[in-house]
Amino acid sequence: MKLCKITVFCFLAMLSAYGQKDSIVNSLDEVIVIADKNIKENSIGFKRINLQDSIILNNSESFTSLLRFNAPIYFREYGSGGTSSARFRGTSSSNTAVIWNGININSVNSGQTGFNSLTVNLVDNIDIRPGGGSIKYGSGAIGGTIHLNTDLQFKKHFTNQFISSIGSYETYKNVYKFSYGSSSFVLKGGVSRNESENDYPLLGTEFVNTNGSYKNLEWNFNTAFKFSNNSKISFYTTKYNATRYFSGQLPNPKAAKEKYRDFNQRNLLVFEIKRNNFTHITKAAFLTQEYNYFADKNIDTYDFGKSKTYLLNYDFFWQINASSKLETYTEYTSIFGSTKQIVEKHRRQFSQAAIFTKNFQNNISYNLKFRKDFNSDFEVPFVIAFGAEIPFKENWKIRMNASNNYRVPTYNDLYWPGQGNLDLIPETSKQAEIGINWSRKRGNSFYTNVDIGYFYIDSKEKIVWTPGGDPEREGIWVPINISEVLNKGFEIRFLQKYRIDNHIFTLSSNYSYTNATDKETDKYLIFVPKHLINANFSYAYKKWNFFYQFLFNGKIYSSEDNFFSLPSFDISNIGLNYKIFNIKNQSLAIALKINNIYNEMYQNSPSRIMPNRNFNTTINYKF
Amino acid sequence: MKINKLAILFFAFNILFISCNQDDDDDNIFDPKGDYENGTLISGEGSATTGSVTFIPEDLSAPQQLIFKTVNDAELGTFLQSIAFSESNAYICVDNANTINVVDRYTFKEIAKITDQLVTPRYMVAVGDTGYATNWGSTAVDTDDFIAVIDLNTNKVTKTIPVGLGPERIVAKDGKLYVSHKGAYGTNNKVAVIDVATEVITEITVADEPDELFFDADDNLWVLSSGRASWTGSESNGSIAKINTTTNTITTSFDLATTEHPNFLTYSGGKIYYLLSGNVYEMEVSAATLPTSSILEIGSVYGMEVNNGQLYGLNASFSALSELNIYSISSKEKTKTMSVSLGASKIYFNK
Repeated sequence: MKLCKITVFCFLAMLSAYGQKDSIVNSLDEVIVIADKNIKENSIGFKRINLQDSIILNNSESFTSLLRFNAPIYFREYGSGGTSSARFRGTSSSNTAVIWNGININSVNSGQTGFNSLTVNLVDNIDIRPGGGSIKYGSGAIGGTIHLNTDLQFKKHFTNQFISSIGSYETYKNVYKFSYGSSSFVLKGGVSRNESENDYPLLGTEFVNTNGSYKNLEWNFNTAFKFSNNSKISFYTTKYNATRYFSGQLPNPKAAKEKYRDFNQRNLLVFEIKRNNFTHITKAAFLTQEYNYFADKNIDTYDFGKSKTYLLNYDFFWQINASSKLETYTEYTSIFGSTKQIVEKHRRQFSQAAIFTKNFQNNISYNLKFRKDFNSDFEVPFVIAFGAEIPFKENWKIRMNASNNYRVPTYNDLYWPGQGNLDLIPETSKQAEIGINWSRKRGNSFYTNVDIGYFYIDSKEKIVWTPGGDPEREGIWVPINISEVLNKGFEIRFLQKYRIDNHIFTLSSNYSYTNATDKETDKYLIFVPKHLINANFSYAYKKWNFFYQFLFNGKIYSSEDNFFSLPSFDISNIGLNYKIFNIKNQSLAIALKINNIYNEMYQNSPSRIMPNRNFNTTINYKF
Repeated sequence: MKINKLAILFFAFNILFISCNQDDDDDNIFDPKGDYENGTLISGEGSATTGSVTFIPEDLSAPQQLIFKTVNDAELGTFLQSIAFSESNAYICVDNANTINVVDRYTFKEIAKITDQLVTPRYMVAVGDTGYATNWGSTAVDTDDFIAVIDLNTNKVTKTIPVGLGPERIVAKDGKLYVSHKGAYGTNNKVAVIDVATEVITEITVADEPDELFFDADDNLWVLSSGRASWTGSESNGSIAKINTTTNTITTSFDLATTEHPNFLTYSGGKIYYLLSGNVYEMEVSAATLPTSSILEIGSVYGMEVNNGQLYGLNASFSALSELNIYSISSKEKTKTMSVSLGASKIYFNK
């Protein structure tokens, strides 16, 4: 019974976070310190998908697979475990911003985040927010933002968790996490180690995935201290090291010999003080990123890229009256970036934003946001955003948002020797979204939420690397501001929970239809599936939990004239969890998961076949 | 009158007969060896997608894309660098895939795939039963470049000959191989002359980054060096070298200005053509100086060839099919434009 309650609670927490104004989450916020405090408020008019514990655990193979099965995002993965980039709503991979505890962590050199170089299990919860977000999250927040959050709880507790899993192709994962807390102090940390030979057979060929192995180690450490009810300080730090090899492409995967190393470190200090109607939050962050690229794993010479980011941020909130709130946001960023080919360049940016939020008594709410950046390298456009939510009748809600957003040129775009282009200006987009949401809840035995949203993104000055892009540099690949693209479409999200006695059924599903075209040629953009569907079904009964996952990825074009394409595919996974015991503060569970049960041959990047049917078992011990 | 009429009839009949006869002869002589005889092959390097070959029929009607894939239901991989030909076969060099695909040059049916002992194969030349392929080796090492010697009967690499940095194009004459060392990811300025029997290598220093090379009718070797581009920080002049293959010395070095970087040297109808800053220049093999005025302006291209007074220029795209433009050299008009393989770089006339 208790077990059931926990499961239900977790699920409800997930649902209600989505519902945004649900009382459970609001009350949880009181005890949980969240570095990115106002994501909820800033998300008025947005759809927000929140992924927590159980879902993260069921998909812990990789960040890519977690999001692929749970969010309306297309991933282009260069073979399982290889470089992986995310695209929301048909935008490019540098238009997806990844936010760690409120800080944008996209690479300074490439403008992207590789989703197979993030560790799944050390993140407490993940928010996925399709739609523009440059107001708060800066460059790259055009298609959508993915938020990795650490929760620190001021509550008396001491928990330890050990997760160990073994999968096909010598895949091993071990995670240890602990959390200790009192009413005024929290200490939380963890370490995660993953490794895999990853030499799965390439279906339909005589080859195996060659040179695809990886191993990585991440640890994090977080602490928070409450001086009083009105002031607290928190500190987050995480370090990640990885070595992986880039697998070979058909027709001769054996030719592969590239190797890649990542070293990332992130530190964040947050100090918050509340006085009367004023809240001040000061953040200081220091991030370092480094990659080493070995063209030949047997040779010790390599290319590298490095960056150091210093960030200072001051967030000021003024609760003007019961319904109105003003936030100002001041940020100074100083970035030092270099690669083997680019001598260190220093980029500075000063940003000032203001956000006005109004919540009416009838629950209608809206916000207005402005941001101006001053960047040492180029003009950054003035950004305006608007969001509103209008509940009506009992279960209905209309949500809408509109914004303009930008993506600044990366260091590679600007400075790559012989090829960089100093005349680049930021990519800009104007976008709007309108959605309707229907939800219905009956006690804790029945919950349904349906959200349908239409989006429209008009982007220009897209940066594209083109041979001969600069007439002065004949035949040389140069990035230029060239294309204008238009993305239109709609997304449907469906959630259903149903419970009879000890039987709990849940279903969550996303469908997205994307029509993204180049305005000049009228052709479909490459690597954008028109149709994307994912679904998760689970059935829990007492100690058992069975789940089924489904993904349909529509046909994608791999050349701009739409001459080359990759066929659509669908894959299914199943899993079974069993809780062996759950006494007092101890629980032990085992899980078995079978990925790609139908042994489907599929590719989401040309000439790179994804894994065949494979198995994974996990032990999860909490004490 | 009558006789005249009869005579005309007779001649007319005769002409008809003769021409019919000739047609029959044509059919006999040019018994098609495959779908891809008598036309032009355009190879494309590929990018996110595979390398590919486009066939253009002799009448320049609709191009046929992806002929290797059409015939063999297989991909070539990236990046398709070049194609070499023997009498009956074509050898498709795909550098990143460490592969040379052997196909029948007229049917494009795959015969073999050579992968063992090839590391970044660039160009090949077939001499009798032996193929010689330039290989960059590992791109992370400057000292492991080699020529792979391939037995064309077994399609196996029989041995390798170590050479200097970045061997690019290769031609053969009288038991000797001539290799332009462009320098791979670095830079080089040598033409290597390799005696096949003894493997003795003689190096001829030319201007920086030598690429295209061919023999003229008088057995002179012509080599085009582009020179180093300005962004390298050590810009150097382009040059065309005329080399005496008896003495292996440069007879004439046609040097350009430091900022001038010519490309795509080719030889057709006894004349030499090259591209400089988007302009095509034509010169006689006997010329003492470089031409001062161009014959045609075609802009920046990724590949260029001349055949029968027609100039072929490839406007390559690496994210879509490329564009082939055909110009008549005599009229200076663009006569045809068509879509060809993605990342199109090389043009071969498959006779």
